[in-house]
Amino acid sequence: MQSVFKKLKLIMRQTFIISAVIFGVLGIVFTILPLGTIAFLPIGIAIILSFLAIKKSTHKQGKFPKIILFISTLTLLVVIGKVVFIKDVVVIDKQFEIKKEESKKEDIKDLEGL
Amino acid sequence: MKKISILLCFIFTIGLAFSQTDSSEKLVYAASYNMSGLMTQLAQVTMSTEIIKTSKKSFLHLSWEAATFSKWDKFFKIRDAYETYVDPVTLKPSLYKRNIYEGGYAKTEKYIFAANGRSINSTTRKKNNQETKRTFAIGGSSRDIISMIYKLRTVDFSKFKPGQSASFIVVFDEKEYPVYVKYMGLETVSAGNLGKKQCFKLSIAARTNKLTGKDKNLIWLTADTKKVPVLIRFSIPVGTGQLSLANAIGI
Repeated sequence: MQSVFKKLKLIMRQTFIISAVIFGVLGIVFTILPLGTIAFLPIGIAIILSFLAIKKSTHKQGKFPKIILFISTLTLLVVIGKVVFIKDVVVIDKQFEIKKEESKKEDIKDLEGL
Repeated sequence: MKKISILLCFIFTIGLAFSQTDSSEKLVYAASYNMSGLMTQLAQVTMSTEIIKTSKKSFLHLSWEAATFSKWDKFFKIRDAYETYVDPVTLKPSLYKRNIYEGGYAKTEKYIFAANGRSINSTTRKKNNQETKRTFAIGGSSRDIISMIYKLRTVDFSKFKPGQSASFIVVFDEKEYPVYVKYMGLETVSAGNLGKKQCFKLSIAARTNKLTGKDKNLIWLTADTKKVPVLIRFSIPVGTGQLSLANAIGI
């Protein structure tokens, strides 16, 4: 019976670690992409899963889940930093501005003919 | 791509309108799209109005521009411009232009309305394609989507009962669509630099598959003489989103 529990614990630990890695990678990808607060979702899941993996690990086994937890927390801080410090701005597009001016001149010509 | 274009057209032009008495108004909105249940800001929409004078008469120029925030430009750049020139008194459109660039897809469209308002001379061009010209008949009350919204802002909703509707005919993509606007009641909504405002809550419906859900395409107009669009929520086949007023100048 004890061996069954041990096996179950091992399977759970591995599941938590694999899932944490998947969500952690997803979190990093979302952080690189301009997806804003959406990145919190996979990062949050990765943190929870890596924490659970630590809980299911022995002292010797705990190193890898701790690394995942550390990376996920770091990614979380990066996202928070991006949300707080980087403001949404629109770059002045010179080509677009020129096009607009030309379009306006053309419109006035059209309107003169009406 | 067409769906994105429709989405943008809907969310951005729905907000373009201003009080009949003002000739220069600038409204800046943040456009967000629902991704996995979280609203993500994608673009800035600027809506402005001005008087344009020709040698014969004056026109009211209504324009809006949509541009993705710089962080999105590398992934999906949007630079859209929708414009219409209307008679300042009758609000009848004379010239309508659409110039869109959405992630590599480009299209230009120009409608010149006949003086009697019964036909349109249309010139369209899609990226790398030849320009096509055609003339098509329209109903006397048909208008482009921008001037329709302007007209909407002149409707006195204070006299409406919840559930009561107003209707319009809109010309879009060289087709006429009936649009119904249902008054749903009063609600207080955050309106950017204007603070919290009591608003007319309106539901927009059109006989088209471009809008989805019942009472899911909503617009809140301030319940005053200006009727500023402060919040727009939309539901289309590819998702949901909103346009919220960030800054209003010249109100």
